[in-house]
Amino acid sequence: MSVTLQDVLCSLQEEQSRLKMKLQELQQQKRELSSPKEKIPFPVPEVPLAFQGRTQQGRQVPKFLVSNLEICCPLPGGSALVTFDDPKVADQLLQQKEHKIDLEECWLRVQIQPLELPVVTNIQVSSQPDSHRVLVSGFPSGLQLSEEELLDKLEIFFGKAKNGGGDVEAREMLQGTVMLGFADEKVAQNLCQIGQFRVPLGRQHVPLRVSPYVSGEIQEAKIKFQQALHSVLVTNIPDILDAPELHDILSIHFQKPTRGGGEVEALTVVPSGQQGLAVFTSSSS
Amino acid sequence: MDAADNKKHSPETEVKRTEQNEGLIHEIMRENLQLDQEIKTLEAELCSDAREFQIKENVPERNLKFTTVKSLEDGDRFLNSSCSFQVSSQIAYELQKGQALITFEKEEVAQNVIEMGKHVVQMEKAPVKVTAHLVPLNIGVKFQVHVNISKMKINVTGIPDELPEEQTRDKLELSFCKSKNGGGEVESVDYDKKSGSAVVTFVEAGVADRILKKKDYPLNMNPKCYRVTVTPFIERRLEKYQVFSAISKRTVLLTGLEGIWMDEETVEDLISIHFQRKNNGGGEVDAVKCSLDQPYVAYFEE
Repeated sequence: MSVTLQDVLCSLQEEQSRLKMKLQELQQQKRELSSPKEKIPFPVPEVPLAFQGRTQQGRQVPKFLVSNLEICCPLPGGSALVTFDDPKVADQLLQQKEHKIDLEECWLRVQIQPLELPVVTNIQVSSQPDSHRVLVSGFPSGLQLSEEELLDKLEIFFGKAKNGGGDVEAREMLQGTVMLGFADEKVAQNLCQIGQFRVPLGRQHVPLRVSPYVSGEIQEAKIKFQQALHSVLVTNIPDILDAPELHDILSIHFQKPTRGGGEVEALTVVPSGQQGLAVFTSSSS
Repeated sequence: MDAADNKKHSPETEVKRTEQNEGLIHEIMRENLQLDQEIKTLEAELCSDAREFQIKENVPERNLKFTTVKSLEDGDRFLNSSCSFQVSSQIAYELQKGQALITFEKEEVAQNVIEMGKHVVQMEKAPVKVTAHLVPLNIGVKFQVHVNISKMKINVTGIPDELPEEQTRDKLELSFCKSKNGGGEVESVDYDKKSGSAVVTFVEAGVADRILKKKDYPLNMNPKCYRVTVTPFIERRLEKYQVFSAISKRTVLLTGLEGIWMDEETVEDLISIHFQRKNNGGGEVDAVKCSLDQPYVAYFEE
């Protein structure tokens, strides 16, 4: 009895050490995979970067950098967007929806409302090799072609069956490379297999490389509406004055602290029957 | 313990042993089960990682600044509000103790310093041998995100499936054009019976905004009235997605600075002086950072 128990114990202990080894192996693999380097089984274009003195202590490094944030918001006709130096002024004005603007002999009744800007607060993107798309690389520097011209020349060349190509459905200029998407995935795969092409670009034949393309897809984008802090939208302005005149009257009015105004940084009038597009950008970075 | 040793014991201790062993066996079995579980989750994780990799990123909140108002020629209309931005991987190197990074103005100088390999830098007390290497950098991605939120359309979900398709469509149009509920003239209704959802397009801008102030809207199916959920109509687009391999052409990694008892700034100055000299194989230096006491994360930029 005890002998069999011993045996069981032994085999269990062996099992345990085997499992522990396996776990360590996998943990090692995971560490190696923590950079996407090994996940992409083909060479990707190189981008030269340099250390320019920016460092940080500690390990909590953001993995991604968000830049060039731009938010656009249409403005209706018969409105004006007023931006103040001090956000408190905008906030005060928004307490009252109705507002009167004095003219020489009468006044304009207008409404004041906040401008709600859509802001993406969270984004999820997945990426995987795309069977319909390829990456074209190896362009010499100093090519005398505009983006559109270059894309046209590539589409013409890779659109021809005699070059191994087919119908091009998508094209995009990237950083020093071009993405081409084909209607038929067999075409894309065939081009990747051939790999090397001599493509006429302008007066010369340029050796180019075709390789697989990894494409991304937005899985989720969370959006929040954030009030523009410094601005208010004046709406329902009666159409009795021309735009320059209205601009002056509104500027003077909203400059006056006695009218609930303050230092005006910018004021744009959108005349009746027209539309405007207010553009906001990120002030940091 | 071993089996031969065990046999010598009296029956009583034998019983005790057996109980102990049984306890031990249970313990090990439990541990093994746990290990097995961990292995399975890790395997699943690795498997999904290999197929695709996911980027989950919180976009930090930032101050928005009014820039300009664009206008359009007559006839054209702005139909969406939008949010767009660029996302790119932060390429960084974790500078360990005893390492330094030096960036030269010219690529050729950096390549030359790496080719020479060993360098002897004069420090306060003694010369220090350092070795120059290529900086190993990761692969990164960059892309642009464009999100459009329609000013003319809204999404409607939770539409009850109790009337014929055509009739439900009409009920939707009738309900959403009632101005007393905040509605307005409807341009079109795109109703999907299967999912119980619809896209309602209005003629006038502003109606969608007004309706979306609330989360739901009354849908009159006579005699019953339901509350259906209304959400913004959103289009999302990913552009210029590219995977790239970061390479460092102007920056060189120096190793061999362990055990130097000086402050980092002084060492950086000395390294900079050494590598500025042409007869040391160097050239104009842009940036230097060395780590003696603690590791740093050094960012690589364009």
